[in-house]
Amino acid sequence: MFFWRALRELDQILRGEKTRPQALRTASLDISLGRIVVMILVLGMLYGLCMSVFAMTQNYPGHHLQTLASMIKVPALFLLTLLITFPSLYVFNALVGSRFGVVELLRLIIAALGVSLAMLGSLGLIVAFFSVSTTSYAFMILLNVFIFTVSGFLGLKFLLQTLHRMSILAADEKGEPESVEASHPPNDDFEIEVVEEPEKNSGPLAKLYGPILGGEVKTVFRCWIVVFGLVGAQMSWVLRPFIGDPNTEFAWFRPRSSNFFEAVVNTFLSLFQ
Amino acid sequence: MASYLQQADHLLRPRGQALPSLRVLPLLVIVLGGGYGAVMGTYGGLSADRLWQVVYSGTKVPLLLLATFSISLPSFFVVNTLAGLRNDFGKVLSALLATQAGLTVILFSLAPYTILWYLSFDDYGRAILFNGLMFAVASISAQFILLKFYRPLIRQNPLHRLMLVLWLLIYSFVGIQMGWVLRPFIGSPDEPVEFFRENSWGNAYEMVFGIIQRSFGF
Repeated sequence: MFFWRALRELDQILRGEKTRPQALRTASLDISLGRIVVMILVLGMLYGLCMSVFAMTQNYPGHHLQTLASMIKVPALFLLTLLITFPSLYVFNALVGSRFGVVELLRLIIAALGVSLAMLGSLGLIVAFFSVSTTSYAFMILLNVFIFTVSGFLGLKFLLQTLHRMSILAADEKGEPESVEASHPPNDDFEIEVVEEPEKNSGPLAKLYGPILGGEVKTVFRCWIVVFGLVGAQMSWVLRPFIGDPNTEFAWFRPRSSNFFEAVVNTFLSLFQ
Repeated sequence: MASYLQQADHLLRPRGQALPSLRVLPLLVIVLGGGYGAVMGTYGGLSADRLWQVVYSGTKVPLLLLATFSISLPSFFVVNTLAGLRNDFGKVLSALLATQAGLTVILFSLAPYTILWYLSFDDYGRAILFNGLMFAVASISAQFILLKFYRPLIRQNPLHRLMLVLWLLIYSFVGIQMGWVLRPFIGSPDEPVEFFRENSWGNAYEMVFGIIQRSFGF
Protein backbone atom coordinates (compact mmCIF):
# COMPACT_ATOMS: atom_id res chain seq x y z
CA MET A 1 0.00 0.00 0.00
CA PHE A 2 1.39 3.34 -1.06
CA PHE A 3 0.37 5.30 2.00
CA TRP A 4 1.74 2.68 4.37
CA ARG A 5 5.08 2.69 2.57
CA ALA A 6 5.18 6.48 2.62
CA LEU A 7 4.50 6.47 6.35
CA ARG A 8 7.27 3.92 6.88
CA GLU A 9 9.68 6.01 4.92
CA LEU A 10 8.90 9.12 6.93
CA ASP A 11 9.25 7.06 10.09
CA GLN A 12 12.70 5.96 8.98
CA ILE A 13 13.69 9.59 8.55
CA LEU A 14 12.37 10.41 12.03
CA ARG A 15 14.23 7.51 13.57
CA GLY A 16 17.41 8.68 11.90
CA GLU A 17 17.85 5.51 9.85
CA LYS A 18 18.15 7.52 6.66
CA THR A 19 20.84 9.76 8.07
CA ARG A 20 23.10 7.15 9.66
CA PRO A 21 26.70 7.62 8.54
CA GLN A 22 26.57 4.30 6.66
CA ALA A 23 23.46 5.41 4.80
CA LEU A 24 24.86 8.82 3.95
CA ARG A 25 28.07 7.37 2.61
CA THR A 26 26.49 5.62 -0.36
CA ALA A 27 24.26 8.27 -1.83
CA SER A 28 23.02 11.66 -0.81
CA LEU A 29 19.83 10.79 1.03
CA ASP A 30 18.13 7.59 0.05
CA ILE A 31 14.53 8.74 0.11
CA SER A 32 11.74 8.75 -2.41
CA LEU A 33 10.68 12.33 -3.06
CA GLY A 34 7.16 11.34 -4.10
CA ARG A 35 6.38 9.48 -0.89
CA ILE A 36 7.66 12.16 1.42
CA VAL A 37 5.84 14.89 -0.50
CA VAL A 38 2.64 12.87 -0.17
CA MET A 39 3.25 12.59 3.58
CA ILE A 40 3.85 16.35 3.74
CA LEU A 41 0.53 16.92 1.99
CA VAL A 42 -1.35 14.48 4.22
CA LEU A 43 0.11 15.77 7.48
CA GLY A 44 -0.37 19.37 6.40
CA MET A 45 -4.01 18.68 5.62
CA LEU A 46 -4.44 16.91 8.93
CA TYR A 47 -3.07 19.92 10.78
CA GLY A 48 -5.19 22.25 8.66
CA LEU A 49 -8.23 20.26 9.72
CA CYS A 50 -7.27 20.55 13.41
CA MET A 51 -6.59 24.25 12.99
CA SER A 52 -9.99 24.90 11.42
CA VAL A 53 -11.82 23.31 14.33
CA PHE A 54 -11.87 26.82 15.79
CA ALA A 55 -13.81 28.12 12.78
CA MET A 56 -16.22 25.17 13.02
CA THR A 57 -17.13 26.12 16.57
CA GLN A 58 -17.84 29.72 15.53
CA ASN A 59 -20.87 30.96 13.75
CA TYR A 60 -20.11 33.53 11.07
CA PRO A 61 -21.03 33.56 7.39
CA GLY A 62 -19.17 30.89 5.41
CA HIS A 63 -17.28 29.49 8.38
CA HIS A 64 -17.54 25.92 7.11
CA LEU A 65 -15.45 26.84 4.06
CA GLN A 66 -12.57 27.62 6.41
CA THR A 67 -11.95 23.89 6.88
CA LEU A 68 -11.36 23.42 3.17
CA ALA A 69 -9.26 26.57 3.00
CA SER A 70 -7.03 25.58 5.94
CA MET A 71 -6.52 22.06 4.63
CA ILE A 72 -5.26 23.49 1.36
CA LYS A 73 -3.30 26.36 2.87
CA VAL A 74 -1.12 24.53 5.39
CA PRO A 75 0.64 22.25 2.88
CA ALA A 76 0.69 25.13 0.40
CA LEU A 77 2.45 27.34 2.95
CA PHE A 78 5.39 24.95 3.22
CA LEU A 79 5.63 24.04 -0.44
CA LEU A 80 5.30 27.62 -1.70
CA THR A 81 7.94 28.81 0.74
CA LEU A 82 10.20 26.07 -0.59
CA LEU A 83 9.38 27.06 -4.15
CA ILE A 84 10.42 30.64 -3.46
CA THR A 85 13.60 29.93 -1.57
CA PHE A 86 14.88 26.85 -3.39
CA PRO A 87 16.24 28.42 -6.61
CA SER A 88 18.47 30.83 -4.74
CA LEU A 89 19.64 28.07 -2.41
CA TYR A 90 20.67 25.98 -5.38
CA VAL A 91 22.42 28.82 -7.16
CA PHE A 92 24.39 29.92 -4.12
CA ASN A 93 25.29 26.32 -3.36
CA ALA A 94 26.67 25.87 -6.82
CA LEU A 95 28.45 29.19 -6.51
CA VAL A 96 30.42 28.12 -3.43
CA GLY A 97 31.19 24.77 -5.03
CA SER A 98 29.17 22.30 -2.97
CA ARG A 99 28.72 18.77 -4.26
CA PHE A 100 24.92 18.81 -4.16
CA GLY A 101 22.98 18.36 -7.38
CA VAL A 102 19.43 19.64 -7.72
CA VAL A 103 17.81 16.33 -6.82
CA GLU A 104 20.14 15.68 -3.88
CA LEU A 105 19.53 19.12 -2.51
CA LEU A 106 15.80 18.76 -2.96
CA ARG A 107 15.83 15.40 -1.15
CA LEU A 108 17.64 16.94 1.78
CA ILE A 109 15.21 19.84 2.06
CA ILE A 110 12.11 17.69 1.58
CA ALA A 111 13.32 15.33 4.30
CA ALA A 112 13.70 18.32 6.63
CA LEU A 113 10.20 19.50 5.73
CA GLY A 114 8.95 15.97 6.42
CA VAL A 115 10.36 16.18 9.93
CA SER A 116 8.66 19.56 10.43
CA LEU A 117 5.31 18.31 9.22
CA ALA A 118 5.50 15.18 11.35
CA MET A 119 5.97 17.36 14.42
CA LEU A 120 3.21 19.70 13.27
CA GLY A 121 0.79 16.87 12.58
CA SER A 122 1.43 15.27 15.95
CA LEU A 123 0.65 18.55 17.70
CA GLY A 124 -2.64 18.77 15.80
CA LEU A 125 -4.63 17.07 18.56
CA ILE A 126 -3.55 19.67 21.11
CA VAL A 127 -4.56 22.48 18.75
CA ALA A 128 -7.91 20.83 18.06
CA PHE A 129 -8.58 20.48 21.77
CA PHE A 130 -7.77 24.11 22.47
CA SER A 131 -9.80 25.17 19.44
CA VAL A 132 -12.86 23.42 20.80
CA SER A 133 -12.55 24.82 24.28
CA THR A 134 -11.34 28.35 23.61
CA THR A 135 -13.27 31.37 22.50
CA SER A 136 -10.26 33.66 22.26
CA TYR A 137 -9.11 34.23 18.69
CA ALA A 138 -5.89 35.92 19.82
CA PHE A 139 -4.91 32.94 21.95
CA MET A 140 -5.40 30.55 19.04
CA ILE A 141 -3.25 32.70 16.77
CA LEU A 142 -0.41 32.79 19.25
CA LEU A 143 -0.66 29.06 19.98
CA ASN A 144 -0.52 28.28 16.27
CA VAL A 145 2.38 30.62 15.67
CA PHE A 146 4.25 28.95 18.52
CA ILE A 147 3.56 25.45 17.19
CA PHE A 148 4.62 26.35 13.67
CA THR A 149 7.80 27.89 15.05
CA VAL A 150 8.67 24.79 17.08
CA SER A 151 7.99 22.47 14.13
CA GLY A 152 9.92 24.61 11.71
CA PHE A 153 12.83 24.84 14.09
CA LEU A 154 13.01 21.06 14.49
CA GLY A 155 12.98 20.54 10.72
CA LEU A 156 15.77 23.05 10.19
CA LYS A 157 17.76 21.53 13.02
CA PHE A 158 17.45 18.21 11.23
CA LEU A 159 18.73 19.86 8.07
CA LEU A 160 21.79 21.34 9.79
CA GLN A 161 22.62 18.10 11.61
CA THR A 162 22.37 16.03 8.44
CA LEU A 163 24.58 18.51 6.68
CA HIS A 164 27.04 18.32 9.53
CA ARG A 165 27.13 14.53 9.28
CA MET A 166 27.69 14.70 5.56
CA SER A 167 30.56 17.07 6.09
CA ILE A 168 32.19 14.72 8.61
CA LEU A 169 31.93 11.93 6.09
CA ALA A 170 33.34 14.15 3.38
CA ALA A 171 36.30 14.92 5.61
CA ASP A 172 36.74 11.20 6.33
CA GLU A 173 36.77 10.37 2.67
CA LYS A 174 39.58 12.79 2.05
CA GLY A 175 41.50 10.88 4.70
CA GLU A 176 42.22 13.96 6.70
CA PRO A 177 42.16 12.41 10.18
CA GLU A 178 44.79 9.81 9.22
CA SER A 179 47.11 12.33 7.64
CA VAL A 180 46.90 14.57 10.70
CA GLU A 181 47.75 11.64 12.91
CA ALA A 182 50.67 10.59 10.77
CA SER A 183 52.25 14.00 10.65
CA HIS A 184 52.48 14.28 14.42
CA PRO A 185 55.84 13.82 16.05
CA PRO A 186 55.68 10.78 18.39
CA ASN A 187 56.23 12.58 21.71
CA ASP A 188 54.10 15.57 21.13
CA ASP A 189 51.80 16.60 23.99
CA PHE A 190 49.05 17.43 21.57
CA GLU A 191 46.11 15.13 21.97
CA ILE A 192 44.21 14.04 18.96
CA GLU A 193 40.53 14.57 19.29
CA VAL A 194 38.82 11.23 19.14
CA VAL A 195 35.94 11.10 16.77
CA GLU A 196 33.30 9.26 18.76
CA GLU A 197 31.40 6.58 16.99
CA PRO A 198 27.73 7.42 17.05
CA GLU A 199 25.56 5.19 19.18
CA LYS A 200 23.71 2.67 17.16
CA ASN A 201 20.28 4.08 17.79
CA SER A 202 21.05 7.75 18.19
CA GLY A 203 18.34 9.89 16.64
CA PRO A 204 18.63 12.19 13.69
CA LEU A 205 19.07 15.22 15.92
CA ALA A 206 21.93 13.77 17.95
CA LYS A 207 25.24 15.47 17.47
CA LEU A 208 28.16 13.62 16.02
CA TYR A 209 31.45 14.91 17.19
CA GLY A 210 34.07 15.61 14.65
CA PRO A 211 35.52 18.27 12.45
CA ILE A 212 32.92 20.75 11.39
CA LEU A 213 32.65 21.42 7.73
CA GLY A 214 34.61 24.53 7.27
CA GLY A 215 33.33 26.90 4.90
CA GLU A 216 30.95 28.43 2.65
CA VAL A 217 28.46 25.64 2.09
CA LYS A 218 27.44 25.74 5.68
CA THR A 219 27.22 29.51 5.65
CA VAL A 220 24.96 29.33 2.63
CA PHE A 221 22.67 26.91 4.45
CA ARG A 222 22.65 29.03 7.59
CA CYS A 223 21.66 32.08 5.61
CA TRP A 224 19.07 30.08 3.76
CA ILE A 225 17.51 28.90 7.01
CA VAL A 226 17.05 32.50 8.12
CA VAL A 227 15.60 33.40 4.74
CA PHE A 228 13.32 30.34 4.83
CA GLY A 229 12.00 31.37 8.23
CA LEU A 230 11.34 34.95 7.14
CA VAL A 231 9.73 33.96 3.86
CA GLY A 232 7.65 31.31 5.62
CA ALA A 233 6.39 33.83 8.15
CA GLN A 234 5.46 36.34 5.49
CA MET A 235 3.96 33.61 3.30
CA SER A 236 1.70 32.66 6.16
CA TRP A 237 0.61 36.28 6.32
CA VAL A 238 -0.08 36.40 2.58
CA LEU A 239 -2.10 33.18 2.74
CA ARG A 240 -4.11 34.25 5.80
CA PRO A 241 -6.68 33.61 7.22
CA PHE A 242 -5.72 30.14 8.45
CA ILE A 243 -7.87 30.12 11.55
CA GLY A 244 -10.64 32.50 10.57
CA ASP A 245 -11.51 35.68 12.43
CA PRO A 246 -14.91 35.11 14.06
CA ASN A 247 -15.76 38.81 13.77
CA THR A 248 -15.73 38.98 9.98
CA GLU A 249 -16.98 36.98 7.05
CA PHE A 250 -15.10 34.09 5.55
CA ALA A 251 -12.62 35.08 2.87
CA TRP A 252 -10.14 32.98 0.94
CA PHE A 253 -7.59 35.77 1.16
CA ARG A 254 -7.39 39.14 2.85
CA PRO A 255 -6.30 42.38 1.19
CA ARG A 256 -2.67 43.42 1.49
CA SER A 257 -1.85 45.20 4.71
CA SER A 258 0.65 45.15 7.55
CA ASN A 259 3.05 42.20 7.93
CA PHE A 260 3.46 39.03 9.93
CA PHE A 261 5.63 40.33 12.74
CA GLU A 262 3.63 43.45 13.37
CA ALA A 263 0.48 41.33 13.48
CA VAL A 264 1.92 38.88 16.01
CA VAL A 265 3.01 41.68 18.30
CA ASN A 266 -0.41 43.31 18.03
CA THR A 267 -2.16 40.02 18.75
CA PHE A 268 0.00 39.47 21.80
CA LEU A 269 -0.80 42.95 23.10
CA SER A 270 -4.50 42.40 22.46
CA LEU A 271 -4.47 39.59 25.02
CA PHE A 272 -3.96 42.28 27.66
CA GLN A 273 -6.77 44.54 26.57
CA MET B 1 -9.53 -8.03 42.71
CA ALA B 2 -6.63 -9.11 44.87
CA SER B 3 -4.32 -9.13 41.86
CA TYR B 4 -5.39 -5.61 40.96
CA LEU B 5 -4.62 -4.44 44.46
CA GLN B 6 -1.24 -6.09 44.17
CA GLN B 7 -0.68 -4.23 40.91
CA ALA B 8 -1.53 -0.98 42.66
CA ASP B 9 0.96 -1.84 45.38
CA HIS B 10 3.57 -2.58 42.72
CA LEU B 11 3.09 0.92 41.38
CA LEU B 12 3.99 2.49 44.68
CA ARG B 13 7.08 0.38 45.20
CA PRO B 14 8.19 -1.16 41.93
CA ARG B 15 10.39 -4.18 42.44
CA GLY B 16 13.25 -4.62 40.05
CA GLN B 17 12.67 -3.95 36.41
CA ALA B 18 9.19 -5.45 36.26
CA LEU B 19 6.95 -2.90 34.65
CA PRO B 20 3.21 -2.93 35.25
CA SER B 21 1.11 -4.25 32.42
CA LEU B 22 -0.48 -1.73 30.09
CA ARG B 23 -3.84 -3.47 30.34
CA VAL B 24 -4.38 -2.95 34.04
CA LEU B 25 -3.17 0.64 34.30
CA PRO B 26 -6.02 2.43 32.50
CA LEU B 27 -8.43 0.26 34.45
CA LEU B 28 -6.90 1.45 37.71
CA VAL B 29 -7.21 5.05 36.54
CA ILE B 30 -10.87 4.56 35.71
CA VAL B 31 -11.80 2.69 38.90
CA LEU B 32 -9.76 4.58 41.47
CA GLY B 33 -9.95 7.98 39.77
CA GLY B 34 -13.66 7.45 39.39
CA GLY B 35 -13.82 6.49 43.05
CA TYR B 36 -12.24 9.71 44.20
CA GLY B 37 -14.36 11.69 41.75
CA ALA B 38 -17.51 10.15 43.15
CA VAL B 39 -16.47 11.08 46.68
CA MET B 40 -15.68 14.56 45.44
CA GLY B 41 -19.16 14.89 43.98
CA THR B 42 -20.93 14.11 47.24
CA TYR B 43 -20.50 17.67 48.48
CA GLY B 44 -24.07 18.61 47.59
CA GLY B 45 -25.41 15.62 49.49
CA LEU B 46 -26.77 12.27 48.35
CA SER B 47 -30.38 13.22 47.69
CA ALA B 48 -31.92 11.95 44.49
CA ASP B 49 -31.43 15.14 42.51
CA ARG B 50 -27.79 15.51 43.57
CA LEU B 51 -26.91 11.92 42.78
CA TRP B 52 -26.09 12.73 39.17
CA GLN B 53 -23.33 15.02 40.37
CA VAL B 54 -21.66 11.99 41.98
CA VAL B 55 -21.81 10.15 38.66
CA TYR B 56 -20.57 13.15 36.70
CA SER B 57 -17.65 13.82 39.01
CA GLY B 58 -16.79 10.13 38.99
CA THR B 59 -16.61 10.27 35.18
CA LYS B 60 -14.71 13.52 35.02
CA VAL B 61 -11.64 12.62 37.05
CA PRO B 62 -10.61 9.63 34.86
CA LEU B 63 -11.62 11.63 31.80
CA LEU B 64 -9.36 14.49 32.86
CA LEU B 65 -6.37 12.19 33.29
CA LEU B 66 -6.86 9.93 30.30
CA ALA B 67 -7.90 12.61 27.80
CA THR B 68 -4.96 14.83 28.75
CA PHE B 69 -2.70 11.80 28.43
CA SER B 70 -3.96 10.83 24.97
CA ILE B 71 -3.89 14.35 23.59
CA SER B 72 -0.33 14.92 24.75
CA LEU B 73 0.99 11.54 23.63
CA PRO B 74 1.34 11.89 19.80
CA SER B 75 3.64 14.88 19.89
CA PHE B 76 5.69 13.33 22.69
CA PHE B 77 6.03 10.21 20.57
CA VAL B 78 7.39 12.17 17.62
CA VAL B 79 9.82 14.12 19.79
CA ASN B 80 11.09 10.88 21.35
CA THR B 81 11.58 9.38 17.91
CA LEU B 82 13.52 12.42 16.75
CA ALA B 83 15.71 12.18 19.83
CA GLY B 84 16.50 8.58 18.85
CA LEU B 85 14.69 7.06 21.81
CA ARG B 86 12.06 5.13 19.89
CA ASN B 87 13.32 1.76 21.11
CA ASP B 88 12.65 2.79 24.69
CA PHE B 89 9.19 4.10 23.98
CA GLY B 90 7.45 1.00 25.28
CA LYS B 91 9.07 1.55 28.66
CA VAL B 92 8.36 5.27 28.50
CA LEU B 93 4.71 4.59 27.79
CA SER B 94 4.30 2.26 30.74
CA ALA B 95 6.20 4.69 32.99
CA LEU B 96 3.81 7.49 32.04
CA LEU B 97 0.71 5.34 32.40
CA ALA B 98 1.99 3.97 35.69
CA THR B 99 2.30 7.53 36.94
CA GLN B 100 -1.30 8.22 35.98
CA ALA B 101 -2.43 5.08 37.76
CA GLY B 102 -0.21 5.84 40.76
CA LEU B 103 -1.71 9.29 40.99
CA THR B 104 -5.18 7.82 41.26
CA VAL B 105 -4.05 5.28 43.87
CA ILE B 106 -2.74 8.13 46.02
CA LEU B 107 -5.80 10.24 45.33
CA PHE B 108 -8.11 7.40 46.30
CA SER B 109 -6.25 6.88 49.55
CA LEU B 110 -6.91 10.54 50.36
CA ALA B 111 -10.66 10.24 49.79
CA PRO B 112 -11.48 9.64 53.50
CA TYR B 113 -10.02 13.04 54.37
CA THR B 114 -12.27 14.64 51.80
CA ILE B 115 -15.31 12.93 53.31
CA LEU B 116 -14.34 14.12 56.76
CA TRP B 117 -13.85 17.64 55.42
CA TYR B 118 -17.26 17.62 53.74
CA LEU B 119 -18.86 16.44 56.99
CA SER B 120 -17.14 19.12 59.04
CA PHE B 121 -17.25 22.27 56.95
CA ASP B 122 -20.03 23.79 54.95
CA ASP B 123 -18.31 26.21 52.64
CA TYR B 124 -18.16 25.62 48.88
CA GLY B 125 -15.05 27.74 48.37
CA ARG B 126 -13.19 25.84 51.08
CA ALA B 127 -14.33 22.53 49.63
CA ILE B 128 -12.78 23.52 46.33
CA LEU B 129 -9.57 24.55 48.04
CA PHE B 130 -9.39 21.30 49.99
CA ASN B 131 -9.85 19.22 46.85
CA GLY B 132 -7.22 21.32 45.13
CA LEU B 133 -4.89 20.53 47.99
CA MET B 134 -5.59 16.79 47.68
CA PHE B 135 -4.90 16.91 43.95
CA ALA B 136 -1.69 18.82 44.57
CA VAL B 137 -0.52 16.25 47.14
CA ALA B 138 -1.34 13.38 44.77
CA SER B 139 0.29 15.03 41.74
CA ILE B 140 3.48 15.87 43.59
CA SER B 141 3.73 12.41 45.13
CA ALA B 142 3.10 10.83 41.75
CA GLN B 143 6.23 12.53 40.44
CA PHE B 144 8.23 10.19 42.67
CA ILE B 145 6.69 7.23 40.87
CA LEU B 146 7.51 8.83 37.55
CA LEU B 147 11.10 9.40 38.62
CA LYS B 148 11.42 5.84 39.89
CA PHE B 149 10.45 4.44 36.51
CA TYR B 150 12.43 7.02 34.59
CA ARG B 151 15.68 6.72 36.51
CA PRO B 152 16.90 3.57 34.71
CA LEU B 153 16.01 5.17 31.40
CA ILE B 154 17.93 8.32 32.26
CA ARG B 155 20.90 6.22 33.29
CA GLN B 156 20.78 4.57 29.89
CA ASN B 157 20.51 7.80 27.98
CA PRO B 158 20.62 11.24 29.62
CA LEU B 159 18.39 12.59 26.85
CA HIS B 160 15.48 11.01 28.71
CA ARG B 161 15.81 13.71 31.37
CA LEU B 162 15.08 16.40 28.78
CA MET B 163 12.18 14.33 27.47
CA LEU B 164 10.75 14.05 30.97
CA VAL B 165 10.80 17.81 31.41
CA LEU B 166 9.19 18.19 28.01
CA TRP B 167 6.47 15.71 28.91
CA LEU B 168 5.64 17.56 32.11
CA LEU B 169 5.44 20.83 30.16
CA ILE B 170 3.13 19.45 27.45
CA TYR B 171 1.04 17.51 29.94
CA SER B 172 0.48 20.41 32.30
CA PHE B 173 -0.23 22.80 29.44
CA VAL B 174 -3.01 20.55 28.17
CA GLY B 175 -4.06 19.36 31.63
CA ILE B 176 -4.70 22.85 33.01
CA GLN B 177 -7.01 23.67 30.13
CA MET B 178 -8.67 20.24 30.37
CA GLY B 179 -9.37 20.79 34.05
CA TRP B 180 -10.79 24.19 33.25
CA VAL B 181 -13.09 22.88 30.54
CA LEU B 182 -14.38 19.96 32.62
CA ARG B 183 -15.54 22.18 35.48
CA PRO B 184 -17.45 21.79 37.77
CA PHE B 185 -15.80 18.85 39.50
CA ILE B 186 -17.52 19.34 42.81
CA GLY B 187 -20.72 21.09 41.85
CA SER B 188 -22.04 24.05 43.78
CA PRO B 189 -25.08 23.02 45.85
CA ASP B 190 -26.83 26.26 44.83
CA GLU B 191 -26.75 25.43 41.15
CA PRO B 192 -28.56 22.69 39.21
CA VAL B 193 -26.58 19.54 38.43
CA GLU B 194 -25.13 19.48 34.94
CA PHE B 195 -22.21 17.82 33.21
CA PHE B 196 -20.76 20.97 31.71
CA ARG B 197 -21.39 24.31 33.26
CA GLU B 198 -23.14 26.64 30.88
CA ASN B 199 -20.71 29.05 29.26
CA SER B 200 -17.83 27.33 31.00
CA TRP B 201 -16.18 27.22 27.58
CA GLY B 202 -13.22 29.46 27.82
CA ASN B 203 -9.53 29.48 28.14
CA ALA B 204 -7.71 29.01 31.42
CA TYR B 205 -4.68 30.94 30.22
CA GLU B 206 -6.77 33.81 28.99
CA MET B 207 -8.32 34.01 32.45
CA VAL B 208 -4.88 34.06 34.04
CA PHE B 209 -3.84 36.86 31.67
CA GLY B 210 -6.93 38.75 32.74
CA ILE B 211 -6.20 38.28 36.42
CA ILE B 212 -2.59 39.39 36.04
CA GLN B 213 -3.70 42.36 34.03
CA ARG B 214 -6.30 43.41 36.60
CA SER B 215 -3.92 42.98 39.50
CA PHE B 216 -1.33 45.18 37.84
CA GLY B 217 -3.96 47.67 36.81
CA PHE B 218 -3.26 47.77 33.05
